[in-house]
Amino acid sequence: MTDSDYPEEILQSLEDYNIDMRDFLPGHGGGAKLLLDFNKIKGVEQIEGIILKGREIANGIVADVVIKEGSKIEEPVHLCFGVNKEKGIQEIFPRIIAEDNTDVKIQAHCSFPKANGLIHKMFGHFYIGKNCNFNYSETHYHGENSGALVAPVAYMYVGENSVFENNFNLTKGTPGKVKIMLDIYAMKNSVIRSNIRAFGKNKKDSVRIRDAIYLEGENARSVLKMRAAARDGGEVLMYGITEGNAPHCNGHVECSEIVLGKGSICRARPFIRATDPTSSVSHEASLGRFPQKWLDELMAKGLTEKEATEVLIEAMLREE
Amino acid sequence: MSINLDFYSIFLKYLLNIVFIYLNNNHFEGFKLLLELKDITIPTEDGKCVIVNNISFGVKEGSIHAVIGPNGSGKSTLAYTIMGLQTFNPTQGKIYFDGIDITNMSLTQRAKLGMTLAWQEPARIDGLTVPDYIALGMKDKTNMKEKVREALEIVNLEPERYINRTIDESLSGGERKRVELAAAIAMRPRLIILDEPDSGLDMIVIEDFLNIFNKIKNLEMTILLITHREDIGMVADYGTLIWRGNHILTDEFPKVMLRYCAKAGLKEFCKRTLFTNDGKCFDEDYIDRIFREEGTL
Repeated sequence: MTDSDYPEEILQSLEDYNIDMRDFLPGHGGGAKLLLDFNKIKGVEQIEGIILKGREIANGIVADVVIKEGSKIEEPVHLCFGVNKEKGIQEIFPRIIAEDNTDVKIQAHCSFPKANGLIHKMFGHFYIGKNCNFNYSETHYHGENSGALVAPVAYMYVGENSVFENNFNLTKGTPGKVKIMLDIYAMKNSVIRSNIRAFGKNKKDSVRIRDAIYLEGENARSVLKMRAAARDGGEVLMYGITEGNAPHCNGHVECSEIVLGKGSICRARPFIRATDPTSSVSHEASLGRFPQKWLDELMAKGLTEKEATEVLIEAMLREE
Repeated sequence: MSINLDFYSIFLKYLLNIVFIYLNNNHFEGFKLLLELKDITIPTEDGKCVIVNNISFGVKEGSIHAVIGPNGSGKSTLAYTIMGLQTFNPTQGKIYFDGIDITNMSLTQRAKLGMTLAWQEPARIDGLTVPDYIALGMKDKTNMKEKVREALEIVNLEPERYINRTIDESLSGGERKRVELAAAIAMRPRLIILDEPDSGLDMIVIEDFLNIFNKIKNLEMTILLITHREDIGMVADYGTLIWRGNHILTDEFPKVMLRYCAKAGLKEFCKRTLFTNDGKCFDEDYIDRIFREEGTL
């Protein structure tokens, strides 16, 4: 596959995230990759230690990613689910397995630059074995028109002594109608860090994200950070759940949301539950505007209040 | 005859007071004042009490000018009012910056004129990188990376260790204060207001901060230093003493510090620490006289 086989609009679409998709095309860089253009697989590149396969189905694909036991994968695995159409249905069924003692970073880019009534669905299963270091980052761009209807659901199992870092970014362009559900099950001594960021920018945007972490193993730990902003009629709901169901497990949920302009709505619903007397689960949530002191500090450097707010939103939604 | 003596002694005291007031109000005669406060009164937010009462003093361009006074005397309130923070509005008086009346200007307008404030406890903001924060106030953003490095070096932070950091909880209190100073320096303002830069720092770090203040001064910036610590203030050329919201004295810093000690009744401390600008201790009689005036001898 050459660069010209993949739509230029998709390749350029993540520039605002400082991501150049050309770096992830087959033949570029050393990482494994799978590229999808709407419902057609446009490229697959495997490397040692990884099995990466895709099969086209009626409205999308089934994709299997297996990180073989003991593999330390240096370059990120790239999954590109692009659509260069206004309408249509794209359905993705990824099955991602990290066998024991593996180390991998997976970057998924879901870019729909022309979306205007497009539907994107995902039903994912993640199985992370023992002693793994697994990093999953998913970045979305739904164009500037009216966004897409996006409804991913994912179940993630994190094995003993594994570290799972999850990053979801939907901060550029107009999201449209987004409903995301993630269930993460954490086993003994595992560590979960999940960071969710979203920005609803107008009346067409309704973003609802439910991220649930179930601490099922002894001494499992988690931090769930949900950051969002809603502007000019946009609506965001962040539903962060953590359950402490095992001895000495420890979890924390943090929701921070900023409301800008009339008609915008931010809602935070941190939900915590403990069923083990030795577990510890906590939450904090803040909604509204940035603290005046933060604004003052930036304005004392010559920024207007609007400029200071923009800087703070950019910072809040930046991937760590 | 005894009546005449009483009369002469009262008259002499009166004359001395006039000379004292004249000298105190004319310490910058012939110098250009960058900042000038005239009859500033600042109430509490609900307007029921006065925090700062009818204060007037000036800050000479190119100097380090310390505002000292005990906790709760109104120093930080004064700093926020000079900078133009929303909830700090004087009910009377004027503030002039380089001859321009800035009393009714916004915080942003004042910053754009060439003044800034480094906070006592600057905020920790996730996601805002140290270089981005330092570059916020730069007027000319060409060679930005180089300017950021330079600002970090001035505050004695190794650029390589900080260019990939964010101004979040991972920075220690001292590091965050240095980054705040670096951001202020990178603006190249004419006036930097430093609000209690010494709070929460240990002695070794404070010594380092004093060197940084001198570096800032050498960059031709004026510093208005808000502090209640004499060791920090000793780097200052001039000082203003505020006591319970009232202006007591503006003069060369050692004289102001002496008056502060006299008001607080700290004579031994005063003898140990206070030197005039030429490195000599105040004359013992002079110290006694000041303490006597304040009724604390």
